[in-house]
Amino acid sequence: MSTVLQPVAASRSFGLSLRQTRAMAWRSTKETFRQPALVGPSMIFPIFFAALGASSFSRATSLPGFPKVESFLQFSLAATVVQGVLFGSVTGAAALATDIQNGFFDRLLLAPTSRTGILIGRLAGSAIFGAVQAAAFIAVLWPFGATIKSSFGGALVMVLSGGIVALAIGSLMSAVAIKTASAEAVQGTFPLLFILLFFSSAFFPRETMSGLYRNIADVNPISYLVEGMRELVLVGFSTSAMAKAIFIPTAICVVAILIALRQLRVRLASR
Amino acid sequence: MTNSPSNSPILAENLTRHFGEVKAVDGIDMQVNAGEIFGFLGPNGAGKSTAVRMLTTLLRPTAGRAIVAGFDVATHPDEVRRRIGVALQDAAIDPLMTGSELLQLQAVLYGIPSSQTKSRTAELLERVGLTAAGDRRVGTYSGGMRRRLDLALSLIHQPTVLFLDEPTTGLDPMSRLTLWEEVRRLNREGTTVLLTTQYLEEADQLADRIAIIDKGKIVREGKPQDLKAEVGFPTLIVNVQKDHQDAARSVLLQFGELRPTAEGTLGVGLRDGAQVVTDVVRKLDEAHVHLIHLEINEPSLDDVFADATGHRLEGDKS
Repeated sequence: MSTVLQPVAASRSFGLSLRQTRAMAWRSTKETFRQPALVGPSMIFPIFFAALGASSFSRATSLPGFPKVESFLQFSLAATVVQGVLFGSVTGAAALATDIQNGFFDRLLLAPTSRTGILIGRLAGSAIFGAVQAAAFIAVLWPFGATIKSSFGGALVMVLSGGIVALAIGSLMSAVAIKTASAEAVQGTFPLLFILLFFSSAFFPRETMSGLYRNIADVNPISYLVEGMRELVLVGFSTSAMAKAIFIPTAICVVAILIALRQLRVRLASR
Repeated sequence: MTNSPSNSPILAENLTRHFGEVKAVDGIDMQVNAGEIFGFLGPNGAGKSTAVRMLTTLLRPTAGRAIVAGFDVATHPDEVRRRIGVALQDAAIDPLMTGSELLQLQAVLYGIPSSQTKSRTAELLERVGLTAAGDRRVGTYSGGMRRRLDLALSLIHQPTVLFLDEPTTGLDPMSRLTLWEEVRRLNREGTTVLLTTQYLEEADQLADRIAIIDKGKIVREGKPQDLKAEVGFPTLIVNVQKDHQDAARSVLLQFGELRPTAEGTLGVGLRDGAQVVTDVVRKLDEAHVHLIHLEINEPSLDDVFADATGHRLEGDKS
């Protein structure tokens, strides 16, 4: 109890900002995995839905317009990944809202750190969780028939894509978290995500749809996120598959991060 | 220990913060000298925390200015942040992380080199007596342990100015004494401390100087003993039967001015000192006032507060 501390000079540099962002991401990831009650449902329910779909819709694969697949499970792998990542992203954003609610965010703001780094660190944690989810879904479903045509390379791209999708959705949800400072409000967006997922090509190809449902699926960004990964699973590597799996989520991600950062600036400016 | 305004660790001029129509802090002026413990005393909602949030760069002032550790909080917030330590009210600490992990995160946020992070963490855990609990999640800590960890977090970068916002609220007496001792030790080592409190005893015991804040304004400022001396007379508090209160009030007024006291009691500042108590009792008896209880108090900070605001701090505490 008699230690004398040595003073430390702090300065803001790119290297330090990177280290701070990494530390925030590390904290966010640890915090997520230390809450089994939150992690469990976002891992188990998508697998449950995949198993339910595989057992209930196996004959749907012979419908006109349905792509050539080995099994319905193979078709639904991409949807399982996106579904899990969407739900996981809500968890990360709700944790950010809790940080704001309970004052931990103020502790971070009291440090001489980049405000952007604080947010990006939290979002990076969501991305890591999303990538882990994607890897877990692939590892669990592949042995049961969800074969990936583009093999391990494709699986790696899917994992990367899962991380980017998590970052994109996590950023949008974080904007809600920053705006409302309410974990309940963030959790309240869950039904909206579920509706978006339901009105997309996640569970059935767009070619088998008609009317309003088809029109919504055509403009629903979730359709494109799922289809990029699905092409990697069903067809193999192609420019189109890579564009859909990586570039489309990246573009959405950039816009979403800008929205979240703007929301943060607005919040800080209003203090 | 008096500083010129230019080298005061904390200097506020007309510091003001409004939330809509509410004047949370209403033009306060204050100067904290290097190496002193300065207490901000006031009830809930008086404006203490808002003032601290402005001084620590978390809130922008609506008007006025504040210089902390030599830098303007509005124009050089990062320079201020590098030099101050802050333990906010309610010890907002992530319950899912361990004490060690939070200290290491804090070290990174303050730019402490990786090579020093572990040793600094160990030093601080030892300093606040949490070495054994360092690898436990904070969610398992008691209130006192959380406060000590909060203090350790605020010290990670060896700040020259330390802000403690109600550091002992909700703590048991033993934890409170432990924290007081740590604050005194930090102060002896040269750290300037500004603490807010709603506890009279805490302000009296710890602070070299105090400012009493009420409804956003500083209503008294000075050394506790000087402020108490200004109030002067001891307070006689009597508890009488309800239907004898008017008669008792008439008697008490002969010995001094009535003072605000807890409901159901009457208080008078004895202008001729405590030696007239027997006279008061005799007069009350002659007036056929049935006395239930009587006590005499030397001037306290609560008397100072009551003298300045017209109401008592202790009666306001939730």
